[in-house]
Amino acid sequence: MKAILLLALLPFGNAMAHEMTPTYPVFTESFMAGISVTTMNLFNKRTDVSYYEIGVFDDEWEPIPFVSQYTIIPMEYLDTLAFDVYVSNLSLGSVEYICSVSQVQAGATVSSKICSRIK
Amino acid sequence: MKNLLIAVVLLASSTSVLAADTPIVGNVQTRCLITTDTNGVFGNPLPSKLSTASADGGVVPVVRYDVTLADAYLAKVTTPTAFSASPSLSDSVTWTGSTAVSKTSDAAMSGYEAAKVTYGSTTQFDLTKAGSTWFSSTATAVYGVSKSFPGGSYTAIVLAECIAK
Repeated sequence: MKAILLLALLPFGNAMAHEMTPTYPVFTESFMAGISVTTMNLFNKRTDVSYYEIGVFDDEWEPIPFVSQYTIIPMEYLDTLAFDVYVSNLSLGSVEYICSVSQVQAGATVSSKICSRIK
Repeated sequence: MKNLLIAVVLLASSTSVLAADTPIVGNVQTRCLITTDTNGVFGNPLPSKLSTASADGGVVPVVRYDVTLADAYLAKVTTPTAFSASPSLSDSVTWTGSTAVSKTSDAAMSGYEAAKVTYGSTTQFDLTKAGSTWFSSTATAVYGVSKSFPGGSYTAIVLAECIAK
Protein backbone atom coordinates (compact mmCIF):
# COMPACT_ATOMS: atom_id res chain seq x y z
CA MET A 1 0.00 0.00 0.00
CA LYS A 2 1.32 3.33 -0.92
CA ALA A 3 2.49 5.34 1.94
CA ILE A 4 -0.25 7.80 2.30
CA LEU A 5 -0.98 9.49 5.39
CA LEU A 6 -1.81 12.54 6.49
CA LEU A 7 -3.29 14.09 9.14
CA ALA A 8 -4.09 16.91 11.09
CA LEU A 9 -0.78 17.68 12.51
CA LEU A 10 -1.94 19.53 15.56
CA PRO A 11 -1.64 18.07 19.00
CA PHE A 12 -4.60 16.30 20.50
CA GLY A 13 -6.29 17.50 23.62
CA ASN A 14 -5.16 21.06 23.03
CA ALA A 15 -8.48 22.85 23.22
CA MET A 16 -8.69 25.84 20.90
CA ALA A 17 -11.56 28.27 20.96
CA HIS A 18 -13.15 31.12 19.07
CA GLU A 19 -15.65 33.53 20.60
CA MET A 20 -17.45 36.64 19.42
CA THR A 21 -19.77 38.86 21.45
CA PRO A 22 -22.28 40.37 21.83
CA THR A 23 -24.78 37.83 20.58
CA TYR A 24 -27.33 40.53 19.84
CA PRO A 25 -25.49 43.72 18.88
CA VAL A 26 -27.28 47.02 18.66
CA PHE A 27 -26.42 49.69 16.11
CA THR A 28 -26.27 53.33 17.16
CA GLU A 29 -25.67 56.53 15.20
CA SER A 30 -22.00 57.03 14.48
CA PHE A 31 -20.15 60.32 14.32
CA MET A 32 -21.02 60.45 10.62
CA ALA A 33 -24.51 61.33 9.48
CA GLY A 34 -26.31 58.43 7.84
CA ILE A 35 -23.91 55.82 9.21
CA SER A 36 -24.61 53.53 12.15
CA VAL A 37 -22.05 51.63 14.16
CA THR A 38 -21.83 48.74 16.56
CA THR A 39 -18.86 47.35 18.46
CA MET A 40 -18.03 43.65 18.44
CA ASN A 41 -15.53 41.72 20.52
CA LEU A 42 -13.50 38.81 19.28
CA PHE A 43 -11.44 36.36 21.29
CA ASN A 44 -8.90 34.03 19.71
CA LYS A 45 -7.86 31.01 21.69
CA ARG A 46 -6.93 29.02 18.62
CA THR A 47 -3.25 28.38 18.16
CA ASP A 48 -3.90 27.36 14.57
CA VAL A 49 -5.67 30.58 13.58
CA SER A 50 -4.08 33.99 13.09
CA TYR A 51 -6.79 35.69 11.05
CA TYR A 52 -10.55 36.06 11.20
CA GLU A 53 -12.73 37.36 8.40
CA ILE A 54 -15.68 39.58 9.21
CA GLY A 55 -18.88 39.60 7.21
CA VAL A 56 -22.28 41.30 7.41
CA PHE A 57 -25.29 39.53 5.91
CA ASP A 58 -29.02 39.87 5.43
CA ASP A 59 -31.56 37.20 6.32
CA GLU A 60 -30.86 35.39 3.03
CA TRP A 61 -27.13 35.36 3.81
CA GLU A 62 -26.47 37.87 1.06
CA PRO A 63 -23.50 40.10 1.93
CA ILE A 64 -24.18 43.69 2.95
CA PRO A 65 -21.57 46.41 2.43
CA PHE A 66 -19.92 47.52 5.64
CA VAL A 67 -16.78 49.22 6.84
CA SER A 68 -14.58 48.15 9.71
CA GLN A 69 -11.03 48.65 10.80
CA TYR A 70 -10.33 45.32 9.18
CA THR A 71 -12.18 42.89 6.96
CA ILE A 72 -9.52 40.34 7.74
CA ILE A 73 -8.51 40.73 11.36
CA PRO A 74 -5.04 39.62 12.37
CA MET A 75 -5.10 38.13 15.86
CA GLU A 76 -2.46 36.53 17.98
CA TYR A 77 -3.22 33.56 20.17
CA LEU A 78 -5.23 34.68 23.24
CA ASP A 79 -5.84 38.12 21.74
CA THR A 80 -9.08 39.91 22.54
CA LEU A 81 -10.05 42.62 20.11
CA ALA A 82 -12.89 45.12 19.92
CA PHE A 83 -13.77 46.33 16.45
CA ASP A 84 -16.42 48.64 15.06
CA VAL A 85 -18.74 47.73 12.20
CA TYR A 86 -20.16 50.67 10.26
CA VAL A 87 -23.22 50.25 8.06
CA SER A 88 -25.13 52.80 6.02
CA ASN A 89 -28.53 53.60 7.46
CA LEU A 90 -29.93 52.72 4.03
CA SER A 91 -28.81 49.11 4.57
CA LEU A 92 -29.36 48.98 8.29
CA GLY A 93 -32.86 47.51 8.06
CA SER A 94 -31.52 44.57 6.09
CA VAL A 95 -28.68 43.65 8.42
CA GLU A 96 -29.37 40.34 10.09
CA TYR A 97 -26.02 38.76 10.91
CA ILE A 98 -22.49 39.85 11.73
CA CYS A 99 -20.14 36.89 11.42
CA SER A 100 -16.53 36.07 12.08
CA VAL A 101 -14.93 33.10 10.34
CA SER A 102 -11.56 31.63 11.20
CA GLN A 103 -9.04 31.53 8.39
CA VAL A 104 -7.43 28.19 8.96
CA GLN A 105 -3.81 27.48 8.27
CA ALA A 106 -2.47 24.39 6.58
CA GLY A 107 -2.92 21.40 8.81
CA ALA A 108 -5.96 22.71 10.68
CA THR A 109 -9.04 20.52 10.40
CA VAL A 110 -11.78 22.67 11.92
CA SER A 111 -12.96 26.06 10.70
CA SER A 112 -15.14 27.98 13.14
CA LYS A 113 -17.77 30.58 12.37
CA ILE A 114 -19.79 32.60 14.88
CA CYS A 115 -22.66 34.83 13.86
CA SER A 116 -24.33 37.45 16.03
CA ARG A 117 -27.84 38.51 15.11
CA ILE A 118 -29.48 41.91 14.94
CA LYS A 119 -32.86 41.79 16.62
CA MET B 1 -1.24 58.72 72.85
CA LYS B 2 -4.89 58.18 73.69
CA ASN B 3 -5.95 60.57 70.92
CA LEU B 4 -3.82 58.71 68.44
CA LEU B 5 -5.41 55.41 69.45
CA ILE B 6 -8.90 56.84 69.02
CA ALA B 7 -7.98 58.21 65.62
CA VAL B 8 -6.67 54.80 64.49
CA VAL B 9 -9.82 53.05 65.70
CA LEU B 10 -12.04 55.56 63.93
CA LEU B 11 -10.02 55.27 60.75
CA ALA B 12 -10.21 51.48 60.83
CA SER B 13 -13.94 51.44 61.40
CA SER B 14 -14.41 54.01 58.67
CA THR B 15 -12.45 51.86 56.23
CA SER B 16 -14.45 48.85 57.22
CA VAL B 17 -17.71 50.65 56.51
CA LEU B 18 -16.45 51.72 53.10
CA ALA B 19 -15.41 48.16 52.28
CA ALA B 20 -18.80 46.85 53.25
CA ASP B 21 -20.40 49.24 50.79
CA THR B 22 -18.13 48.38 47.90
CA PRO B 23 -20.29 46.88 45.20
CA ILE B 24 -19.28 43.93 43.10
CA VAL B 25 -20.52 44.40 39.61
CA GLY B 26 -20.56 41.98 36.74
CA ASN B 27 -21.99 41.61 33.33
CA VAL B 28 -23.26 38.27 32.17
CA GLN B 29 -24.00 38.18 28.49
CA THR B 30 -24.99 35.39 26.23
CA ARG B 31 -22.15 34.00 24.22
CA CYS B 32 -21.12 31.06 22.11
CA LEU B 33 -17.66 29.58 22.28
CA ILE B 34 -16.54 27.07 19.66
CA THR B 35 -13.68 24.90 20.81
CA THR B 36 -11.76 22.37 18.78
CA ASP B 37 -11.65 19.54 21.25
CA THR B 38 -9.96 16.96 19.04
CA ASN B 39 -8.47 17.37 15.60
CA GLY B 40 -9.40 14.68 13.16
CA VAL B 41 -7.03 12.23 11.54
CA PHE B 42 -7.66 10.20 8.43
CA GLY B 43 -7.05 6.51 8.60
CA ASN B 44 -6.25 4.71 5.37
CA PRO B 45 -7.85 1.26 5.67
CA LEU B 46 -7.91 0.73 1.89
CA PRO B 47 -5.78 2.28 -0.85
CA SER B 48 -8.87 4.06 -2.15
CA LYS B 49 -10.31 5.16 1.17
CA LEU B 50 -9.57 7.77 3.79
CA SER B 51 -11.76 7.80 6.86
CA THR B 52 -11.84 9.40 10.28
CA ALA B 53 -13.71 6.43 11.76
CA SER B 54 -11.82 4.74 14.55
CA ALA B 55 -12.61 1.36 12.97
CA ASP B 56 -10.64 2.58 9.95
CA GLY B 57 -7.71 3.72 12.03
CA GLY B 58 -8.73 7.35 12.06
CA VAL B 59 -9.56 9.85 14.74
CA VAL B 60 -12.94 11.55 14.74
CA PRO B 61 -12.78 15.34 15.04
CA VAL B 62 -14.70 16.67 18.03
CA VAL B 63 -15.94 20.23 18.41
CA ARG B 64 -17.36 21.61 21.64
CA TYR B 65 -19.94 24.38 21.80
CA ASP B 66 -20.35 26.33 25.03
CA VAL B 67 -23.41 28.55 25.25
CA THR B 68 -24.33 30.61 28.29
CA LEU B 69 -27.96 31.25 27.43
CA ALA B 70 -30.56 28.67 26.52
CA ASP B 71 -32.32 28.84 23.18
CA ALA B 72 -30.11 31.55 21.70
CA TYR B 73 -27.99 29.67 19.16
CA LEU B 74 -28.07 27.09 16.41
CA ALA B 75 -25.06 24.84 15.95
CA LYS B 76 -24.27 23.81 12.41
CA VAL B 77 -21.53 21.35 11.64
CA THR B 78 -20.56 20.70 8.04
CA THR B 79 -18.42 17.73 7.11
CA PRO B 80 -15.92 18.17 4.27
CA THR B 81 -16.78 17.74 0.63
CA ALA B 82 -13.29 18.43 -0.68
CA PHE B 83 -9.71 18.34 0.47
CA SER B 84 -8.23 21.66 1.52
CA ALA B 85 -4.80 20.27 0.74
CA SER B 86 -3.83 17.11 -1.12
CA PRO B 87 -1.60 15.81 -3.85
CA SER B 88 -2.88 16.30 -7.38
CA LEU B 89 -5.90 14.07 -7.95
CA SER B 90 -6.94 13.03 -11.44
CA ASP B 91 -10.19 11.29 -10.52
CA SER B 92 -13.26 12.23 -8.52
CA VAL B 93 -13.58 11.79 -4.78
CA THR B 94 -16.83 10.63 -3.23
CA TRP B 95 -17.46 12.08 0.20
CA THR B 96 -19.75 10.88 2.94
CA GLY B 97 -20.03 12.27 6.42
CA SER B 98 -22.19 12.62 9.46
CA THR B 99 -22.25 14.51 12.73
CA ALA B 100 -23.60 13.36 16.07
CA VAL B 101 -23.78 14.54 19.65
CA SER B 102 -21.03 12.71 21.49
CA LYS B 103 -21.30 14.27 24.94
CA THR B 104 -23.32 16.86 26.82
CA SER B 105 -22.87 18.73 30.08
CA ASP B 106 -26.54 18.45 30.94
CA ALA B 107 -28.82 15.45 30.76
CA ALA B 108 -31.56 17.75 29.49
CA MET B 109 -29.63 18.01 26.22
CA SER B 110 -30.26 14.36 25.44
CA GLY B 111 -32.87 15.32 22.87
CA TYR B 112 -30.41 17.18 20.65
CA GLU B 113 -29.47 14.11 18.65
CA ALA B 114 -33.05 13.10 17.86
CA ALA B 115 -34.00 16.66 16.95
CA LYS B 116 -31.09 17.31 14.62
CA VAL B 117 -31.74 18.37 11.05
CA THR B 118 -29.46 17.21 8.25
CA TYR B 119 -29.26 18.75 4.83
CA GLY B 120 -26.45 18.04 2.41
CA SER B 121 -23.29 17.67 4.42
CA THR B 122 -24.55 20.00 7.16
CA THR B 123 -26.16 18.93 10.41
CA GLN B 124 -28.01 21.51 12.47
CA PHE B 125 -28.69 21.33 16.20
CA ASP B 126 -30.89 23.67 18.17
CA LEU B 127 -29.04 24.55 21.37
CA THR B 128 -32.07 24.90 23.60
CA LYS B 129 -30.14 24.50 26.86
CA ALA B 130 -27.24 26.41 28.32
CA GLY B 131 -24.04 24.43 28.73
CA SER B 132 -21.56 22.45 26.68
CA THR B 133 -22.19 20.05 23.85
CA TRP B 134 -19.60 17.97 22.05
CA PHE B 135 -20.20 17.07 18.41
CA SER B 136 -18.19 14.43 16.56
CA SER B 137 -18.07 14.21 12.79
CA THR B 138 -17.05 11.29 10.67
CA ALA B 139 -15.86 11.88 7.14
CA THR B 140 -14.98 9.35 4.48
CA ALA B 141 -13.40 9.97 1.11
CA VAL B 142 -13.31 7.29 -1.59
CA TYR B 143 -11.17 7.87 -4.63
CA GLY B 144 -12.47 6.98 -8.09
CA VAL B 145 -13.55 3.37 -8.50
CA SER B 146 -11.26 1.53 -6.14
CA LYS B 147 -8.39 3.72 -7.23
CA SER B 148 -5.42 4.23 -4.95
CA PHE B 149 -4.98 7.68 -3.44
CA PRO B 150 -1.61 9.11 -4.47
CA GLY B 151 0.91 9.22 -1.67
CA GLY B 152 1.10 12.47 0.23
CA SER B 153 -0.58 14.56 2.83
CA TYR B 154 -4.34 15.10 2.85
CA THR B 155 -6.26 17.65 4.86
CA ALA B 156 -9.98 18.35 4.94
CA ILE B 157 -11.86 20.85 7.04
CA VAL B 158 -14.95 20.56 9.20
CA LEU B 159 -16.89 23.83 9.44
CA ALA B 160 -18.39 24.50 12.86
CA GLU B 161 -20.89 27.37 12.95
CA CYS B 162 -22.73 28.98 15.84
CA ILE B 163 -25.56 31.16 14.59
CA ALA B 164 -27.57 33.40 16.89
CA LYS B 165 -31.32 32.78 16.67
